[in-house]
Amino acid sequence: MLRVPEHEAAELASAILDVKQKIRFCSICLNITESDPCSFCRDESRDAGLICVVEQPLDIIALDRAAAFKGRYHVLHGCLNPLEGLGPDQIHVRELLTRVKEGQVREVIMATNPSLEGEATAMYVQRLLSPLGVRVTRLARGLPSGADLEYIDDVTLARALEGRQDL
Amino acid sequence: MDRDRLYRADAIVLRRRNIGDADSIFTLFAADRGRFDAVARGVRKARSKMRGHLEPLTRVRVLVAKGRSLDILTQAETLEAYRPLRDDLDLGAEALYCAELVDRFTVEANGQHDVFDSFTRVLDALATGAPRHVVRSFELALMALSGFDLQLGACAHCGGSLPGESILLSAPAGGFVCMGCRGQSGGGRLVSRRCAAVLRFARDAPIETFGQVQVDEALARELRAALADVIHHVLDREPSSAQFIDDVRRAPAQLSP
Ligand SMILES: [Zn+2]
Ligand SMILES: [Zn+2]
Repeated sequence: MLRVPEHEAAELASAILDVKQKIRFCSICLNITESDPCSFCRDESRDAGLICVVEQPLDIIALDRAAAFKGRYHVLHGCLNPLEGLGPDQIHVRELLTRVKEGQVREVIMATNPSLEGEATAMYVQRLLSPLGVRVTRLARGLPSGADLEYIDDVTLARALEGRQDL
Repeated sequence: MDRDRLYRADAIVLRRRNIGDADSIFTLFAADRGRFDAVARGVRKARSKMRGHLEPLTRVRVLVAKGRSLDILTQAETLEAYRPLRDDLDLGAEALYCAELVDRFTVEANGQHDVFDSFTRVLDALATGAPRHVVRSFELALMALSGFDLQLGACAHCGGSLPGESILLSAPAGGFVCMGCRGQSGGGRLVSRRCAAVLRFARDAPIETFGQVQVDEALARELRAALADVIHHVLDREPSSAQFIDDVRRAPAQLSP
């Protein structure tokens, strides 16, 4: 148990409450943000024709730190996992479809984890988007299978992005 | 480490649940232990030696330490990765469906060599290009091994013959039911004579042999629907990965609003 004086506890509680109230999902990319749209979606210097799709908001931080990526992002908030009851309607894939249908997007880079579920999600999105004529690419293999993107070292991650391939 | 507290198993990874920052709990199925859960600490870290070896649908040799509440995976080495099932979305969905059936039909700590044999054979068949309807053969085998052997040769109610162009397959009755017994069957689905004959063959023939049978699209759908009803009845729910098979097949069609 953490022992704090009462006035500090109240301050801490209000700070936590504040964070909860301010944090929301970006209405464009579903990243976690305090202001909507998020800083990535507001940044005009970022290429809106290039969308990198990740499973979790933390993956954006890892990618952005490592890869000098200058496009936009999309957060699925999970991956397809049929045994856990996670199908296409349980992750934010429809919002991605809507963004691509708007017509500006040239390329979608699938940066889901190199796990069975992450690979299935990438293949599913590729199948979903292929009639729209958009290029769908996948982070290069060579990442260890079964890992969480968050834990891959920066060099590996940057190389993986450089070596992306068509699905 | 105390030798009595360690055991080795050749198993297939059925599913994974991530816990905390870096750990995962795996459900595995082994011939001599049945279904069991074990945790792998730090498996999601980049330097974990077990990572990649414990992906779902991998046949793996594991070394497990008995824990107080949950056993702990200490080593994992891939025996068969079933690569084709990872590279093909439809095959992967079928294989995950088989894994879910094993998860739901079997229990922990119980020698189940026949189930393990059937499971590896259906994965082998799917991974080596057998048509997807081999999964029907697996469903029938798994049900039979779990005490739900369907009566397909004669009426499950009176033992009489089964004339007619369509035959009632009744899950509550445990198999086909003749015209006269339909009232007491508890309900079911009418299947064509062709479907009935193929179901009999699927149950009696080895999975590999059934894979050589030509099945057209309409018959494949009928076979799948017939057994889906029975499985739903036995499990009291539809396996969630059954829906996934349809989701991935229909993916491009979801473009229309
Ligand atoms: Zn955004
Ligand atoms: Zn009868």
